[in-house]
Parts: sequence; C-alpha cells; structure tokens
Amino acid sequence: MLYTYIKFETQTMGEKARRLLLSKGINSSLRRNPNPNRKEGCNFALYVNGDVYAAFDILTKNNIRNLGVESFRELL
Amino acid sequence: MIYLDNAATSFPKPQSVINAMCRAQLCGANPGRGGHSLSARAGETVYRCREKLAGHFGCKSENVIFTCNCTAALNTAIKGVLKKGDHVIISSLEHNSVLRPVHALCEKGIISYSVARVNPFDDNETLRSFASHIRENTRAVVMTHVSNVFGTVLPVEKICALCKARGLIFILDGAQSAGSHKISLEKTGIDVLCVPGHKGLLGPMGTGALLIGEGVEISELTQGGTGSNSLSPAQPTAYPDRLESGTLNLPGIAGLCEGVSYLEKIGAERYVISHEGELVRLLCEDLSVIDGVRLYSEMNGGKSTNLVSFNLGDLHSEYVASLLDKGGFAVRAGYHCSYLAHKTYNTSEKGCVRVSTGVFTTKKDVKNFANCLNKIAKDKKM
Repeated sequence: MLYTYIKFETQTMGEKARRLLLSKGINSSLRRNPNPNRKEGCNFALYVNGDVYAAFDILTKNNIRNLGVESFRELL
Repeated sequence: MIYLDNAATSFPKPQSVINAMCRAQLCGANPGRGGHSLSARAGETVYRCREKLAGHFGCKSENVIFTCNCTAALNTAIKGVLKKGDHVIISSLEHNSVLRPVHALCEKGIISYSVARVNPFDDNETLRSFASHIRENTRAVVMTHVSNVFGTVLPVEKICALCKARGLIFILDGAQSAGSHKISLEKTGIDVLCVPGHKGLLGPMGTGALLIGEGVEISELTQGGTGSNSLSPAQPTAYPDRLESGTLNLPGIAGLCEGVSYLEKIGAERYVISHEGELVRLLCEDLSVIDGVRLYSEMNGGKSTNLVSFNLGDLHSEYVASLLDKGGFAVRAGYHCSYLAHKTYNTSEKGCVRVSTGVFTTKKDVKNFANCLNKIAKDKKM
C-alpha cells in the first residue's frame, strides 16, 4: 500500500497543521514518520483524509513550515 | 484554614484541573516520542495547551516553550539572550529569579547590569530611570510586571516602547500578573514573557512557560532528546524543540490547559482584577483602622492587584504570620525571595506580611482575616 503524507520537523508544527486543516473541514492524523531518512532522523507525518496536495497548498498559504510531501510504499 | 497565599501558588485548583491531570496520567504516553496512538494523543494534549497559551498571550503556538516553573523560564530567557560583554537593566523590585541569574552572569564577568529605581507614584519617573541606565552595550531590559512583595504594577507599555525605540530586548516576568492582567506580546511588543503555570493561571505546580515574540532568538541552556531530527548531533534550531529537551510534564500541561480554560470561562482578567482587587480594597479599609498596622498598599500606586503587605508594630513579620496561622489563616511573611524589593522600601529588617487573594477568596474570608488580625493587635497591646 502507498502512503502519502506531509512531513514536519516538529510535532508542534504537525499539530498546528492538523488543527488548521480541521478548521477547514479536512480530517488528518499526525504520527511519527514511518520512513525517516538517514539525514533527517525522527520527524512527523501528517496523513490527510482527502487530497494531500490541496492540504499542502493550504499549509503553504498559511505559512505552516513543513518538509514537503512524501510517499512510502509498505512492504507486503 | 483560609488560604491567602495565592501569590505563592493559587489554591485550591479548579476540579477540572485535577480531572485533566488524572486523565493525562492514566492515559498519556510520552508526547512526540512514539509512533503509537497513545503518544499521538499525548501530543495533542500538549499542543492544545500550547495553542491555549498562545491565544491567551498573543504569540505563535510554536513559540510557547514549556518549562518547570517561571524561574526556569527566566533563566532560559536571560542566559539565552545575553552574550559576553552585554549590559542589562533590571528594576529595583525584582524577585531573586531575575536578580540571581543576572548577578551570577555578572560575577562570572560575562555581563554587567544596572538597577533602575521604580517610583510607584510616577510611571514617567520610572521610565526616565530605565532610560538613564541605557548604555551602548545594553542588550535587554528584564523586569517584573507586578512586585511579588508590594503589588506595585510597573509601566510595561512605556518601558516596552522605550526598548523598541532603543533596539533592546524586553523580557517580562509575569509571575504575579499572568492570569490576572491582560498581557499580549503581539499588541504590546513584548519580546519574551515568562509565566508560572501554578499561580494566576490556576495550573498545577511544576508548570511554567516561556513565550517568545516574533523573530526573537534564544539559545538553549540544555541539549538533549526532542523526538525530532534525532540523527543530528546538533540541537534542533526550530522552536519549541530547541528549548524543550527531555520529556515534558504531560499531567501538568494538561492541568495548566484546564486552568487557563477555567479562567477564560469566568471572564479572565476582567473578573480577576475586579474580584481580587475589590477584596484587597476591602482588606485595606479594614486593616488601616487596626492599631499598630503599617500598610504598604500605597506602594501599588493605586493600581489594582491581588495582594497587600503590612507589618504590625515592631513585631517580626514571621512572628505575626505564625500567630495568623494559629488563627487559621495562611499568609506569607519574611522576605519573599526579593532582596531588592525589601531594600527599596526599607523593609529588610523584619520583612512584611503579604496577604494575597485568589479566584476562590470571598469577602467573608477577608473580613474574618481582618478580625483575626485585630484580635492579635489587641492581644499584643498595639
């Protein structure tokens, strides 16, 4: 399965993003990034119920600092 | 026992604060440290409080830094802002939580500092005193909002404007004002605000916060795990992680959030100032007619606060407080961790007795207190 999410350096910014999206009727959930790269180490992933790129645009317009959109394919 | 020591910590706490702490302790995992849903829920609890404080004090939620008390917040602000060779100005009414870190930096030869005299009757003279101490290398002003000994309210907006005009960082100690006075970083331009969670904000002990204005850089005092950027040996630079190493006090933060919510429900500053200020006015009226009482209520310059201090004849304040304790009243005496304030108002010899009201104090409480003190004064033949 392919997961696409928005990455955040801190949990605080991820929560800020989650609540902003919720205020616009978009549900999402914040978890640890399941696939952090070696350069970044731990960070956070916001899974959006709906169009992740539309959510990303909302965050960008509202100056919510993030590390971009990333996808992760779960190994079966 | 009637509790009149709310300037030390507010008591009792709203039941909702206690309930929230229990819930967090029973259900909460470590916020931000695990990928599981319990940790995520704990993270949401922490963020709710961050957002609540950010809304209450007018700053960004990521610029709310949780600390274990106001002293820790002040130490972080003072030591994280000042650099070698800097000069800082503090007021003559500072608590030791400001004086001691500043003095320690000075003793180590890192900074120098000046003390600006506060005139409780003339804000413009206080302003001139601060202005007169500004030097070429002055970097910051660190100042209490309300004196913890005399209730003196300092002219925050005027001093803040002075700092803006002269390019200085303004650090405000809100230990006695947070929750009872309107404070907005955004509207006033305060650079850094340090608050306790357990006093006017009605949260539990072991909580506090540092609130940082836009564009203010504070270096961290401690480094460690933040749950973010873990493969880097360097401390993260983004707030709040830069200044929040180690596990947070989740039950405390959950309680603090409910404390602020409670305050907002009852009308926050408007209610607190009118209710507690009215109680202090009643108290002053009653105490002023007791023989032997020397009231220091004029030191608040006529502004509304929740505390008043006094002495009884030549008796030491600690002795008077012990008699009041036997009469069923909890008050604070001695020197209130404030060498400068007692030196400024010449009360260093026997300190003073401080009575501080809270959200749950009633008119009956202060009337009974005045009656008790009157009885003590008569017994001591004042």
